[in-house]
Amino acid sequence: MHETMTVSKVRGILTNLVKMIVVLFLVTFGITVLVRLLPGDPVSTLLPFGSPEQLDALRAELGLDKNVFQYYFSWLGDFVRGDFGTYYSTTADGGTPVSSMIAQTLPRTLLLMLYTTFVSLAFSIPLGILLAYRAQTRLDKTVSNVLFGLSSIPNFAIGLALAYLLGVKLDLLNPVGYIPISEGLGEHIKSMIMPVISLSLGTIATFTRLLRVDTISTLKEDFVTMASSKGLSNRWILWRHVFRPSSLTLLTSAALTMASLIGGAVVIESVFALNGFGMFLAMSIAVRQYLAIQSLVALVAIAFILFNLIVDVFYAVIDPRVRNHRGA
Amino acid sequence: MARKRKPIGYYLSSGWLYLCIFMSVFGGLLPLPKWDDNDFEYTGAGLFTPGHILGTDYDGADLLSQIIHGTRNSIVIAFVSVAAAMLIGGILGITAAYRRGWVDSIVTMYFNVTLSIPTLVLVLVMVAVFSSPDPFDPSGGMPRVLVLILSLTFVIIPVLGRLARSSALSWTGRDFVLVAESMGMKKRSILMTHIVPNVVPSMMSVGFLAAGVVIVVEGGLSILGVGTNPGESWGSILAKNRGEISLIPHTTLIPALAIALTVMSLNYFGDYFREKIDGREARI
Repeated sequence: MHETMTVSKVRGILTNLVKMIVVLFLVTFGITVLVRLLPGDPVSTLLPFGSPEQLDALRAELGLDKNVFQYYFSWLGDFVRGDFGTYYSTTADGGTPVSSMIAQTLPRTLLLMLYTTFVSLAFSIPLGILLAYRAQTRLDKTVSNVLFGLSSIPNFAIGLALAYLLGVKLDLLNPVGYIPISEGLGEHIKSMIMPVISLSLGTIATFTRLLRVDTISTLKEDFVTMASSKGLSNRWILWRHVFRPSSLTLLTSAALTMASLIGGAVVIESVFALNGFGMFLAMSIAVRQYLAIQSLVALVAIAFILFNLIVDVFYAVIDPRVRNHRGA
Repeated sequence: MARKRKPIGYYLSSGWLYLCIFMSVFGGLLPLPKWDDNDFEYTGAGLFTPGHILGTDYDGADLLSQIIHGTRNSIVIAFVSVAAAMLIGGILGITAAYRRGWVDSIVTMYFNVTLSIPTLVLVLVMVAVFSSPDPFDPSGGMPRVLVLILSLTFVIIPVLGRLARSSALSWTGRDFVLVAESMGMKKRSILMTHIVPNVVPSMMSVGFLAAGVVIVVEGGLSILGVGTNPGESWGSILAKNRGEISLIPHTTLIPALAIALTVMSLNYFGDYFREKIDGREARI
């Protein structure tokens, strides 16, 4: 009995892995098709003043003289070897490697992601548990309504309002620009406060609502009645018995939100001029940097897929019931 | 059962949405300054300036007229792309769920592949694909509104399609479907009489949420400089005036407020209908 379960589990994981690899191939190939569908002549955009010979050379370098399959596999070959292509520009001698521009922009976005997730969880976990514990009271109803409102406000609207209030009216923070940690932790945090708040308010609201609903249903379970009839304190029951089984949806949602911020924070990056990964991607698309678009979107998709996989595995580890339910 | 009174949020949300629809149809007939007329006596006027209730932007264009003018594009983009995606995604999802086999595998694979690129990134790529050949001349090629509608539709098809598929799957196993099958009812008529009518309500409730997402994404695209033409939708009014936020903040914050109120109303309806559906399912 036990052994067959492990075998089926391994088989399930393998099937998922194969599916994931197929999705990875299809996604990257789909991006290739989309990039090749971009209208206009990319080489004349990249090298506006190039001679016909230079244009032909660039065309060959980009692989545009090949068909879409040859183009895809030559890109893929470079990509898996860590060569993400060149970001062409007329000023910097032929262009900059995409990988060095990633190295410059990605850390900012990763930090933004990390801070946002941390702040969102730090506020939503206690709040969600509290609201569930006091479900249907006036406190719960008021806060739930406020959260509903918050979750509906687009993050750029919050960002712009903050930039005006804190940046202009009260003149507390500089509304634009990123300051790395190396230039002082205090200044770094100050440059991230408004972007993080803009991204967090909505997620705090969403996370709290998810946790509240799940906690309310956990509170109805027999083992909770059992624990409270044993005379355990409410605080102990909430944190030790109720929180873990109630946190699954929250954790999934947190992981997926985090993953989507890799490219999805681009609007906030733009509002606060952080020049992060999202803005790099948006700029590459705007000026038709074929290889950069291809490699960056592929990276985003790979990160997204891996995050999903990790969530799935984690999900099964944290709650054995999921395994059994799925096996059934 | 006594009819329950609808909550106040219902009236507020529907009131706002009706107002938006009214403005997008009849907004041009209101006795207001033209949205693109520049009143150079009042540039960057504040709120409640005589003749310009919501003030003007840095060109002296009346903000209220701009907001009303922008309503049409914001609403049309959201409505058309969600409706199209609902139709295409619904057909794909329900067919996949009912046919199973290789049809299901292909459709599911298509959904998964598309969903593995974050929405905003995919929209950016799609907008570039549909845009004019010259990235430095955005006015060439298709009208911007059409570009946005096509891109957004493409991106939300898998979201609504996957929902339709899972919802249809959950209904195909129900007793009344099995009964209909055993009585010899044709597959196609089972689909039309038993599956589709049950899938549509849950798609509608997600459709409201999706419309809210579309409005937000459209605003984001405007901020990134690839939205509608300047001043033609809420997002692009906001994006156009963003640089002046320290001097005339209302020209940025009021369009942001319009977007927020609309999204809030749409989300409210999404939640409201979902609760109704859940209640109905609980009674079945």
